[in-house]
Amino acid sequence: MRTSSIQTILLTTALCALAGGQVVLGSSKARASFAPPAPPTDLVANDLPWDGGGTVQIDWAASATPADQLKGYEILAHELEVTPRDAAIETDEAADRAAAEETQSLLEGEGIAPEDARRQAALSTPEFVSPPEDVSEWSSLGIVPATQTDYQATGLNKAGVYLFKIRAIGLEGDFSAATASSGEIRPVAAFFNGRKLPLLITLILIASAVFVFIVLARRGMPMRIRKIAGLAAVDEAVGRATEMGRSILYINGIQDMDDLQTVAGVTVLGRVAKTAAEYDAKIEVPTSRSLVMTAAREAVQSSYFSAGRPDAYNPDLIYYVTDEQFGFVAYISGMMTREKPAACFYMGSFFAESLILAETGNSVGAIQIAGTANPSQLPFFVAACDYTLIGEEFFAASAYLSGQPDQLGSLKGQDVGKILVGIVIIIGVTLATLQAITGSDSLEAAVNYLVNVILGS
Amino acid sequence: MNDTPKINTDAINVILATDCGSTTTKAIMIEKVDGVYRQTWRGEAPTTVEEPFANVTVGVLNALTEIQEVSGRRLIDDAGEIIRPATATEGCDIYISTSSAGGGLQMMVAGVVREMTAASAKRAALGAGAIVMDTIAANDKRRPHEQIQRIRELRPDMVLVSGGTDGGDTKKVTEISEMIAPAKPRPRFGKSYELPIIFAGNDKARPEIERVFSDDGFDLKITDNLRPSLEQENLGPARDMIHDVFLEHVMAHAPGYDTLMSITDAPIMPTPGAVGDILQTIAKGRGINAVGVDIGGATTDVFSVFDGTFNRTVSANLGMSYSISNVCAEATMPTILRWVHLDMDEHELRNRVKNKMIRPTTIPQTMEALVFEQAVAREALRLAYIQHKAFATTLKGVQQQRTVGDTFTQESGGETIVDNMKLDLLVASGGVLSHAPRMHQTAMLLIDAFEPEGITELAKDSIFMMPHLGVLASVHPQAAMEVFERDCLVYLGTCVAAKGTGKEGKNCFSWSLDGGARGSGEIAFGQIEMIELGPEETAEIELRPARGFDVGAGPGKPVTKTIRGGTVGVILDGRGRALALPEERAECRAAVTRTIEAVGLYPDLEGSAV
Amino acid sequence: MAKAYTPGLKVSSRTTHLAHRILPIAGEVKASLGDVVDADTIVAETFMDGDITPLNVANLIAAQPGDLPELMLKKEGERVEKDEPIARSKGMFGMFKSECKSPASGILEAISKATGQIMIRGESIPVQVKAYLPGRVVEVLPEEGVVIENEVALIQGIFGVGGETSGPLVMGCSSHEQGLDAEAINESMAGQIVVGGARMTAAAIRKAQQVGVAAIVSGGIDDSDLKAILGYDLGVAITGSERIGLTLIVTEGFGEISMARRTFDLLSSNAGRSASVNGATQIRAGVMRPEILIPLSSEAMDADSSQSSTDSGVLAIGTPIRVIRDPYFGSIGTVSALPEAPQVLGSGSKSRVLDVSLESGEVVTVPRANVELIEA
Repeated sequence: MRTSSIQTILLTTALCALAGGQVVLGSSKARASFAPPAPPTDLVANDLPWDGGGTVQIDWAASATPADQLKGYEILAHELEVTPRDAAIETDEAADRAAAEETQSLLEGEGIAPEDARRQAALSTPEFVSPPEDVSEWSSLGIVPATQTDYQATGLNKAGVYLFKIRAIGLEGDFSAATASSGEIRPVAAFFNGRKLPLLITLILIASAVFVFIVLARRGMPMRIRKIAGLAAVDEAVGRATEMGRSILYINGIQDMDDLQTVAGVTVLGRVAKTAAEYDAKIEVPTSRSLVMTAAREAVQSSYFSAGRPDAYNPDLIYYVTDEQFGFVAYISGMMTREKPAACFYMGSFFAESLILAETGNSVGAIQIAGTANPSQLPFFVAACDYTLIGEEFFAASAYLSGQPDQLGSLKGQDVGKILVGIVIIIGVTLATLQAITGSDSLEAAVNYLVNVILGS
Repeated sequence: MNDTPKINTDAINVILATDCGSTTTKAIMIEKVDGVYRQTWRGEAPTTVEEPFANVTVGVLNALTEIQEVSGRRLIDDAGEIIRPATATEGCDIYISTSSAGGGLQMMVAGVVREMTAASAKRAALGAGAIVMDTIAANDKRRPHEQIQRIRELRPDMVLVSGGTDGGDTKKVTEISEMIAPAKPRPRFGKSYELPIIFAGNDKARPEIERVFSDDGFDLKITDNLRPSLEQENLGPARDMIHDVFLEHVMAHAPGYDTLMSITDAPIMPTPGAVGDILQTIAKGRGINAVGVDIGGATTDVFSVFDGTFNRTVSANLGMSYSISNVCAEATMPTILRWVHLDMDEHELRNRVKNKMIRPTTIPQTMEALVFEQAVAREALRLAYIQHKAFATTLKGVQQQRTVGDTFTQESGGETIVDNMKLDLLVASGGVLSHAPRMHQTAMLLIDAFEPEGITELAKDSIFMMPHLGVLASVHPQAAMEVFERDCLVYLGTCVAAKGTGKEGKNCFSWSLDGGARGSGEIAFGQIEMIELGPEETAEIELRPARGFDVGAGPGKPVTKTIRGGTVGVILDGRGRALALPEERAECRAAVTRTIEAVGLYPDLEGSAV
Repeated sequence: MAKAYTPGLKVSSRTTHLAHRILPIAGEVKASLGDVVDADTIVAETFMDGDITPLNVANLIAAQPGDLPELMLKKEGERVEKDEPIARSKGMFGMFKSECKSPASGILEAISKATGQIMIRGESIPVQVKAYLPGRVVEVLPEEGVVIENEVALIQGIFGVGGETSGPLVMGCSSHEQGLDAEAINESMAGQIVVGGARMTAAAIRKAQQVGVAAIVSGGIDDSDLKAILGYDLGVAITGSERIGLTLIVTEGFGEISMARRTFDLLSSNAGRSASVNGATQIRAGVMRPEILIPLSSEAMDADSSQSSTDSGVLAIGTPIRVIRDPYFGSIGTVSALPEAPQVLGSGSKSRVLDVSLESGEVVTVPRANVELIEA
């Protein structure tokens, strides 16, 4: 559940990546001619404020040559190289940049990446190699139409220091002289990246929805939760065990208490144990972690108390087996074939053992209810069990069972987030589809805005 | 099981049957006329179980005497005995009877899990025609001492104990028996009566059960487990055992029943059990799904047969006289008044309802009173049917087989088997339905309360003959079927209703009868129309539902079927399913008024209708 | 049908009444034949088996149910006291023994080897039957109870709530058409049976509850008032066990309705006399109506005696009747015509009817099912 907002973003990104295509600007090489156009003037380059770094805003005054006689302006940039002083700080620029770009989105929220920290330490006393005189050695960032007098240079090294120049290109492909070099610019990351504003708004929306619902739940507003078939079937499974005079087997996964799924599993155990206490059925809980055993005993005992049958609680039925994954599974499978429980519950984190357990349970004729958030194990459980709590359903069941207003409220609040995501997906898919059919520019712009800005980076 | 006497069914020409109700004993005579069995004469007399007669046969002979008088056929000889076998002018070939006198058969049932063996036990008891006073189960949310208290308060005629599958639980079922035994439920028939306990649970628990009920005062009978495994229900042996015990113990203690038992040619059955039997016979014989309802003064019985599975429920406090106030309390006044298109003062109605409760025999004199009483009946029937649907379910506790395709549609056990779309025949009986001044009112009561979907035949039991035919079915099924079709049922007609909802006034379905030769048209959503089709007539109806509406073949799919007419005809109901009346009072009233006018429910009132 | 009309309620100024006072289960009869008893005299007494407390001892001491009999410190049939140890486990090497204490006092009735459950039967509950009707014991039913006979003025109500009680009759209204309001109830009426005229209001009942009135008898009650007093909407007319502090009896029905004049006159002529009332109503097969019994002392035997009628009367022209269904609910009149053939009613159904000339002089036609005889 806590991971859900990240999941949300990733999912949306993936979907919208399908929808919109990146626009790539082409560039062309130009030939020289005799009457070169007049160069543009008043070049001003500034680090773009409120960004995530790596972007520089460049403005200039148009060339004296009329725009209709120009092919465009070429933007030239040069990253100043630091004089090698210490081998320790010499790093592979390209690799660093790639790494930085790759992890950028993840790292931004958490502070400065280690590489950047090293680099910044180095930059604190910079000493640069002077830029080459020949503009042809400068890298071209691209050509903009002659009517344009500004440009955003993106994708720059956040830690680098840059110089910029502009030159006009005549119709024949002849270049004007380049402007004077701009000042040294560092395209550093601002305190807040303005492009992430939509993300902030989304975050606030979802967080406040969670908050509001928690407050409402605490005030006693009833929270309706959709009927979960697997949960409703608990009575049936326990009833079956009672009628057949057999035991109920409850497996809490094979992870320790630090796993969220194990915690949810213990909550569900409380419910199952309470029903078992009411029906006076025997519930057996073998665990693969000692701590889980302790937690399970607590949960089962309190269930028997609240069901008013403290006399029927037997702690010996909740025991530790082994930490070894397959040792544990071998024990459980053997026990299942010997004792033939009438109801089996698998609630928690499962791995390769899921199918072994579920198939054994199925073969002894038990009603089986599984719940896990391990997606790779879900198909096995669905096929071999009577009921399966799928992923979030499992946590939702836990929240529902615990009845705590905080859990219920956050469950409800996250629903708001899911609705929001759903809306964005529908809008994105619709816009992209329409754009593909009509080829409309305004739609394209909208799609690009959605992809680059709202879901951007 | 009782030994049903071997009867040569071909030689039977005259049949006498009686039903000894709590107030009236009704007798009918069935004769073979031109090769088919027909019900020819009937008679009735007050039941004589109480002082000063205290002998049920007196009432039976009185009722038969009435038949003798009207038919001119001598049935009873000078010694006061029924003349058998029949000759050309006197006597009958067989005499059979049912009984619900003295409050019928009252039972308590117990099982381990309420939704599993206890539910099966309840089904067995209800199916046998009993009134289930209470169901004791390990998980009925009562503490043991509360359960014991309850058992002590009840005065059942017998107790049915089940629990555990074969080879399954012994502990719980023994525990429950250990609770019943010391609580010593006191039977109604006094100290000398040994309370019959029927055990139909885990076969491995029998020795323990025998030990528990070894005390004096109990008469333990053991029969096959009614739930040998959770996947399987086997109610037959338990039901037969209930009938046997009913005859041996309960009937034997009722005044005059020993005589009555000796003169019948088939075992006496509890009245509701017999009604269930005839409905099953018919459903099986015609291969249909059927629902029967009997609304009485105190209780409403609903019987259903879906895909061969029979279910019966008794809604103890839903009735039209003794329980009318309870119907109003459970349904609430505004819900009842939504069926009323007239101005009525709620406060005054409440007092009227209470006055009917304390003077249950009165009848509505004015049209307004009738409209209100029928509105109450709709709600009583609707509530009874809801209870029935909740009870008639698939078995619970069954292991499910799944594929990955079921990931998002995990259906659970215990779903209702009542499906109005699959329903073919709806049979009404009971005062408010049988004695409604106009058949149209009966038909609309059924449609509004049961909301049949697709194509459903509507019928009513003319003179409450179903119990007699139920017993007859046990000895002569063919005669029972023939009389049921020809004389017992009055066909009201056929209801055609589309499932789904839509916008008021938009097309719901279009229809044509006999390819348009007998009319065709379109039904808008919210509209209801009636077409005449006589009782002996049939016609082929072609239905083309609009998108989103289902008349039996799936949404939007056309249906062609031969339908039967009746005294009312064909009712084309475009009000949608689930049937929803407008919330707002004025709109609701307008909608109900439209319906009433379209069907001609209360023709005398139409002038004054709003 | 033999009865095409509802037999009326009995209102009799003198009749011989037999009160059957029967124990629910067999017991001891305390009165003997010929005894003269008071309303409060206990005529029969018995002890009902005490409540049962089940307890799963095997679970509590973690033992197998089969071993339980050896581990029990008390045997079947022995007496146990609350918190007395009743079972002890063997424990391990004679240590860690766990003990189980009795949750209740009583007799240890059963120990189950199959389930590990024991049953403790609590103290017997005494059940006493009072005479209710002052009079003479005319029959003793051994082990069951007695029959008490007396000459009484008998009035049957149509509906009541609350059980048996007794007390002197006191008039709360001066006319049979006067409603019973809270003002009519005063402190002096504690323990008495208050007679009202028409409808008794919720306020009057509340006041009566405060004052400690034994019972109220009146013509009618409003449904909403009844609901307010009971706290729930009465579903079926099976009453008698309500705990509202007093007994209520209505003689005519629900709504604004006056008590029949004859009933009112009979009650007012007996004002000051002690009466026994029972509100228990059961309208099912074997109908039971609430009753007001006014035992008549021998000197009250006067000319107006032997005016009892236990036979159901016959409908004939001139018979006094009451209409018991709307639209003429509560009207009183006499039969003026008895047409043989069934007639179609306003509701459209066919039924046998009769003509009634009402007290107002109007003549109306009503179904025979909707009238009741006013029995003399």
